[in-house]
Amino acid sequence: MDLSNSISQATQEIFQTMLMMEASPGQALTERSNKFSNSVSAIVGMAGPSKAMLAIHLPEPTALAVTSSFLMMEVEEVDEDVKDAIGELANMVAGSIKTDLNEQGMDFKLSIPSVICGEEYEIDCLADSEGAIMPFAIDGGDFLVEFQLQK
Amino acid sequence: MGKKVLIIDDSNTMRKIVTRSLRQAGLDFDTILEAGDGQAALDVLAGETVDIILSDINMPNMDGIEFLRQKQADAKIKDIPVVMITTEAGADILDEAKSLGAAGSIKKPFTPDQIQETLGSLL
Repeated sequence: MDLSNSISQATQEIFQTMLMMEASPGQALTERSNKFSNSVSAIVGMAGPSKAMLAIHLPEPTALAVTSSFLMMEVEEVDEDVKDAIGELANMVAGSIKTDLNEQGMDFKLSIPSVICGEEYEIDCLADSEGAIMPFAIDGGDFLVEFQLQK
Repeated sequence: MGKKVLIIDDSNTMRKIVTRSLRQAGLDFDTILEAGDGQAALDVLAGETVDIILSDINMPNMDGIEFLRQKQADAKIKDIPVVMITTEAGADILDEAKSLGAAGSIKKPFTPDQIQETLGSLL
């Protein structure tokens, strides 16, 4: 399964359908950074035959632009609405990738999204995992979507 | 009397999107009730009669599958149609929802047309 392609298709479809925005994928990243600053990250755990994790990382201005588009109202600070919207975005991407994995014979149960935000924070990936990290560009900025699958 | 819908989703954002999509689909309910999980929905239904329910599956506290199970066991509300709106597109979970009385399902992300197509025949 081409994880980068799966992430791209899921993310583009969700942005087009639910946000009326184009999310342009860039080249898959080869190295993962676990440090984020002035950002909002949402993580969905996936439990099944092995463990997996879907995470979305948005700089605060991008998170505000995405939430404003979701809610069709101007959102100017990272608040509960932003955390909820970014969590739901991660949930939809995870659901779409889960469907792709199901077709490969891997069944996963999705966790409720967890959202982290702040000036500085770190998110470690699953131990002994492989995955893909895709950058995207939208009108309001850039963001990352990553998927890690434990070997 | 005007029609009433109950939207069950733990995401406030998604409840707003579903509400907007209902209007965009031309389904103008007179009353839109909301609940953040299955238990909150049962509490709403204890005091309100609705024409249709739209429910997420993956929710904290009481998920959509357990909500269907509890609803089926309550004669006063068991006949209200429920449409699942969910990221969970796996056949197994949707089959389970159907076996518990779900009238249909819509996968997130969705368009207003998909809402109209699924709900139109149930109202």
